[in-house]
Formats: sequence, C-alpha cells, structure tokens
Amino acid sequence: MVKLEPKILQAVEKPARYTGHEWNAVIKEHACVDCTFALALPDVYEVGMSNLGLKILYEVLNQRSDTAAERVYAPWTDMEEKMREAHLPLFSLETFTEIGKFDFLGFSLQYEMIYTNVLNMLDLSGIPVWAAERDENMPFIVGGGPCVYNTEPIAAFFDLFIIGEGEEVISELVDVFIHWKTAGRPGGRRGFLLRAAKLDGIYVPSFYEVHYDEAGQFSSIAPLEEVARPVIYKRVIKDMDTVRFTEKPVVPYLDIVHNRIMLELFRGCSRGCRFCQAGISYRPVRERTQERLKELSRTLVDATGYNEMSLTSLSSADYSCLSGLVDELLHDFHEEKVSFSLPSLRIDSFSIELAHKMQQVRKSGLTFAPEAGTQRLRDVINKGVTEENLLTAVSAAYRQGWKSVKLYFMLGLPTETDEDIIGIAHLAKKVVDLYTAIKGRRGVKVTISVACFVPKPFTPFQWVGQNSQEEFRRKQQLLKENIRDKAIQFNYHDARVSFLEGVIARGDRRLDHVIYEAWKAGARFDGWTDQFHYEFWMSAFAKCGIEPEKYNQRERSLTEPLPWEHTTPGVNKEFLLREYHHALKEESTEDCRHGKCSACGVCPNLGVRVVDWGDADV
Amino acid sequence: MFKYRAEITKGEEIRYISHLDYAALIERAFCRSKLPVNYSEGFNPRMKMAFASALAVGVTSDAEYMDFELVKPLCQPEVFERLREALPPGVELLRLCTLDGKHKALMAEVDLAKYDIFVPLAGTFLEAQRAVQDFNAVREFTYERVTPKKKREIEVKQYMKLPITVSSREDGLFMTMAIIIKPSGSIKPGELLRVLRESFGMPVDEQQALIYRRALWGQGKPLIELIEE
Ligand code: SF4
Repeated sequence: MVKLEPKILQAVEKPARYTGHEWNAVIKEHACVDCTFALALPDVYEVGMSNLGLKILYEVLNQRSDTAAERVYAPWTDMEEKMREAHLPLFSLETFTEIGKFDFLGFSLQYEMIYTNVLNMLDLSGIPVWAAERDENMPFIVGGGPCVYNTEPIAAFFDLFIIGEGEEVISELVDVFIHWKTAGRPGGRRGFLLRAAKLDGIYVPSFYEVHYDEAGQFSSIAPLEEVARPVIYKRVIKDMDTVRFTEKPVVPYLDIVHNRIMLELFRGCSRGCRFCQAGISYRPVRERTQERLKELSRTLVDATGYNEMSLTSLSSADYSCLSGLVDELLHDFHEEKVSFSLPSLRIDSFSIELAHKMQQVRKSGLTFAPEAGTQRLRDVINKGVTEENLLTAVSAAYRQGWKSVKLYFMLGLPTETDEDIIGIAHLAKKVVDLYTAIKGRRGVKVTISVACFVPKPFTPFQWVGQNSQEEFRRKQQLLKENIRDKAIQFNYHDARVSFLEGVIARGDRRLDHVIYEAWKAGARFDGWTDQFHYEFWMSAFAKCGIEPEKYNQRERSLTEPLPWEHTTPGVNKEFLLREYHHALKEESTEDCRHGKCSACGVCPNLGVRVVDWGDADV
Repeated sequence: MFKYRAEITKGEEIRYISHLDYAALIERAFCRSKLPVNYSEGFNPRMKMAFASALAVGVTSDAEYMDFELVKPLCQPEVFERLREALPPGVELLRLCTLDGKHKALMAEVDLAKYDIFVPLAGTFLEAQRAVQDFNAVREFTYERVTPKKKREIEVKQYMKLPITVSSREDGLFMTMAIIIKPSGSIKPGELLRVLRESFGMPVDEQQALIYRRALWGQGKPLIELIEE
C-alpha cells in the first residue's frame, strides 16, 4: 500500500485528485478476489473521472465477486515530480495498491495526443513501456476505446487490445485469466495471451508481423500464431436495454469536467458525416427504450445525489422518443430539482424548443456544428444542413432568449477552396445580423471555433492528404481577415497539434519509437496547450529518421494496403470508397436510421441491427 | 419551515477538499437522503443551508456546523438516521437538534475556534518553545496577508484567546491554538504558523502541518449547545 505523506500532498495542486474515498467507490480485499483490474485513463483526474466507458467497465467488473476493479489517472506534473523524488510508485485510488501489483492495467485511449501519458504511467508504475520487456509478475497491459481503429503506433506498448465495446468481452477476458491462473499459469504470459487471442474482439499485437515494401511503405501484416486472426472485428452490444449500464457511479469530491449524471440514450450515429470516425466506429444505431431510461435515471439520481443529468449520445436530439422522455423526466424529477441538458444540438427548431424546455433559466450558449462554410462543401462532407436550417434554428433560439451562439467549423476539408473559408466568415456574420434583425438591437456573441481537419482511419477520407501546417496557418489568417464584426469571436486550433494528430492517427508500427523518444525527451499531457512541446516531437522524428509528412500529407492510393485495416469496426472498404466518390461529386447519402440501408457492411458483418424505437409506434 | 442544526465532521478521508466542495458533497448527501429540504425561491433554486465557518484545504475537523430547513417537520431520530446514511466517508453526523424560534445565523454566532496542530520539527524543541513564548509575550504583532487580489495588514494578537501551547511529540511539535473569530475577521492557524516561523524563528515548515479543528464555539459553548435548552 502506498502511503502519501502530508508533505507531498500539501505541496501539490488539488491534492484530492490523489486521495480517493469517494462515494460509491468499491473497495475489496485483494486477497479475497481472483483478479484485480486497474482501469486507467491517461489524463488528469478531472478528465478521467468524466469518462463514461470506464464508469461502465468499473461496474461490470466490480459486479463480479471474484474481481476487484480500481481507478487510476495520470498524476499532474507537480505530483509526478514529488512521486519521482520520493520514489513513490503509481497507485490505485481505492486501496492505494501499487499499479504494478494488479493482474491487468487497462487504458482507455481517447485521442492520440495522450499516448505519451500511457508511457509515463507505465514508467511510474515500474512497468517496462515495451511489452516485450515485461516479466511474468507484471500486469497485462490492455488498451481500449476509440483509438483502437489504428492501434499500430502504440502496438508495441500493449499486451493486448479490446476492439470495440468492452462490456461483454472484458468479463470474458477475466474468465480466461482466472482459468489460466487456476490451472497454474500454463505457458506463462505467452500462454495467457494465446488463450486471450481466441476471444472475439481481442487483438494481441505481438502475434503479428508487419512487412514493408522496398519503397518503405506498409505492405502487409501477417499472423505469426494459429490463434491470431487476420482480421479482428469490433465487439458490439446487441441489446442496449439488457447490458449493464453504470448504476452507482463514483461521485467525486472535486469538480470534474462532467460533474453530473451521464445517461446514455443510445449508441451510434449514422448521419454519415464523411469526416467523422465515431460515425463509423459506433455503428449501428442502438437505442435504449424510454422505459429503461426512466428506470436508469431514477436509479442514478438516488445513488449519486446529483441534481444535474446530461442526456448523452453522439447526437442526442436524434433519440426517437426524446420529446416524450424529456417531458417524463422533467415531471418525475421536478420536486428534486434535477436539471437536464443535451450535450449536442441538432440544427433545427425542434432542438431549440427542447433545449428551451430543459433550461428554463440559464440561456448559456447554444452550440451548433455546421462544419463547413458553404453548401457545396457541406455536401462534400454529407453534413445535411443548409444555411436556411441554421438561420431558422438560430432565430428560434434568439426568440427564446439566447444571446450567445457557438459554431464549430473545420479547415482543410477535401476539395476546400478559399471561397469555402470566406464562407465561414459570411455565415457567422449572417448569424450576428439575424440577432439585430429580430431583436432590433445588437448584443449577441457569436463564437466560431475552427479546427484543423485530421483525416482518420475507417472514414471515406482515410486516403486524403492532410493540409500542411503552412496551409492551415494561411487559411486561419485568411479567415481572420474576413471577420470584421466585433461580435464574432474567432478561436482556432494549433496547427502543430493537428499535424501530429494527423501523423499518429494514420501511422504504423514504426512510430512507436517516435512516441517513445518524445516521451523520453519529456513529452506529457500533449493535449494540454500549456504542456505541449512541439520540439520534443520534432527531435524524436529526426532521431528515428522518420519523415512525418509521409504519414499525414501523402495522398494515399485507393488500392494500397493500409496499416490499420486488421482491427476493424466492420465497415466494408467498398462503402468507404463509394462514399469518397460521392463526396467528390457532392452527392449526399441518407441516414440509415430511418432511410434505406447504405450497405456500409457493419450490420451483416457483425450480426447486429439498427434499433430505433421511433419506427415502433408508427 | 422546520429548522435543524447539525454537528458534523471533516475527516482524514477528505482532508484535502475545499470548503466549496465540502458544501457540495453535503448537498448531494441531502439529495440522496430524500429528506424534504427547503430550497430558495426563484429560477435557480438553492438548498437552504448555512455553515458556521469555512475550513481550509488540508484541515480536518470534529466541529463543523450547519443549519438547514425541511418543508415537513420530521422527528429528530428520523432526520438523523437518513442524513447519517447518506453522508460519504469522512463526514460523520455527531449531533442534530431542531432549531425552534428565532436564531442568529451560524456565522454570526461563532466567536471562537480551537485547533490542535502537529508539525514536524526542523530544529530543536527549545527553539520552538522559545518562539512560542516570545510570540505569546508580545502585545501586538502585524502580519501582512497576501492574497492573489490584494495585500492587507492584520494585527494578529487581537485574535488570540489563549496563549499558544507547544509540547514535544514524536519527532515533531504538538500545539494548541484558541483563535477568536470576530465579525470583522480572524486569522487562520496556518497563518499563525507562518508568523511563528518567519518572525519568531520557529524551526518548522508550516506546509507540513496537520491541522485539526477541535471546537467551534459561541458564547463559551459548542455552537450546537447554544440551542439545546
Ligand atoms: S449496414 Fe446498413 S443499416 Fe447497418 S449501419 Fe450500415 S448502413 Fe446502417
């Protein structure tokens, strides 16, 4: 057990990040269980504690009497310094057990810019960062989450990956572990991995060998073991009503990023935006029933004491029974003063009315994502939203009293011209002027937040070259020059971070040394603006003799093998190609949730189907 | 409305949370307890709840007081049980009374706080003892309180109810402080430690002190006893 001296805790920012004891934390005697599982999110406590996936897995595992699951997050830099000084190993928040003593250490991988934190947490736990160097007594390092649709740049750091939704397979993994352990650990570490690799959705990267051609490009990945399948399909939950959801989430003492109940209405979004990886990787849409959601919300309010609930999903306003659900929730929890919110709004007046109903009081900013400045480019990305849709929604919002609007856009989308960029400024200006027209006075604040487009694996844009940093900067400047109204606030992303994201997102195994060298140089919390050191990464690329531009700026041929295709969400490559061609022709594709199936392949490949209760009552 | 006063603790488990976070966890505990608590009117209803005195990050206490209101008159044992069960580790409900008739706000009733402090010693006990003696002997002492927003001069001795005591314990010092709380303000035990180190040469690092609030009084009694008769 790790003991934290006051002299350490009193010298760091927010010591309660490290002292545990929260309401609903599950504490078990390790001597009384067969498997111990540390669940990690490689970011600071406030971010880690806000992750819904880990909350679910925590309960799935702790529901088993033979397993103890505990939490661990990345210590902030001040705490890391103190821990290294005092030779304190990384520990769990429930029983303050050294992480190195767990049977498993699972990382939820949310985005590429947090990979160096994984290495740092392994190192702080006394575990070698390279999987090949671990010995028999060390935990199995597991990766999961949205980044598994290209595990290759970090494959060498992990013993295995869970591809897709984890609720069922994580328990199967524990079963296999306990069997292997009771059998006397036959074959050692490798013996366990051979057994685990037989499970659907488990990828053991050390059982594969990667080949490159003479030009130095990825050519193939081949299994080295019989149990290793050439393609690993994601795991997917068929029935969202019966699968375990979080019912007693840990309630933090500190204010965290999402300090409220998160009620997951449904999984998946098939609107089909062509830049969006989540839109592919969480397919198909599967809703919970209204009844089940009511039941869960009651359980969650009673178990936590929160008086705020967020109705989460990739696009919550698409929930087929949303209006009815919101009415019922507002009614059921009126006495208890529970308030509800929608994290994302659709661009229509239905959404505004709902948001209005839910937020009688604070008309805090509304957020919409038109993503592109012209209709032409919105057609390219299949964002089925017109300027008229946006202006109608915004006027409804102004009439209901909103005074601040936030709009999300992207720069560097395929086929983009300067006209599309200037279109963003024009659209923002129209949104400002609309306020004056409706209210007869000025006084609105319009924030436009403009990201740099990062092409992602398993999207119709997986082949396209990313803009160079210079190009992004030129475009940011161009947009800035075209914004003249003081009511518009312009935020944009650091092109250097998007560049790195772009490199790693479509990287291969040769990038593991780059990540390692960047971490060695001191890279940590790369997603935090004040912690990001571009130079660490540039010298890492130089040291490893790797030209990053080959990964992100190169236009890939439509026929070349891609290094990520063996861990797949089940989408067919033909579909992605078809969508890419539709994009270039500015043709739209329907949402399969209500419209016709666009044959992406996910349902037949995985044996699942769309679940949408809206069709049920017609 | 039916008013109650509770005596609660802030234990080791939650030593490092702020007063704001402490208040928030109590609110959530009330929500879990399903007690019919009273809320303020208006668009943004707040639970009607008041604390006696804020406790700093890093300080534990066996003497926190809060007043709250219920919209229904429930008997003391029921309120006690339901609240107790809903409180998280680190918060214990020690005593609970109904508040009848008119009462001053808790904040206005409190006038004295007693602290026990343990702090590791970085010199000799004699040096420490001399520092405390010297501090106890001076008639006035001005301390400059620096906050991110401003600087303020504070005369410290007006807040000392009793002389500070110090004794030797393990490899550190055990101290007691009785600090007066005035409507115009007070001084924190951590600040006194700093004064002792900076101006009286006490060989300690106040960053490492473990501070514990033993009592919070008004008119010579624990705040909850003010209403017990
Ligand atoms: S297979 Fe058809 S119905 Fe299923 S997610 Fe793909 S497009 Fe939608």
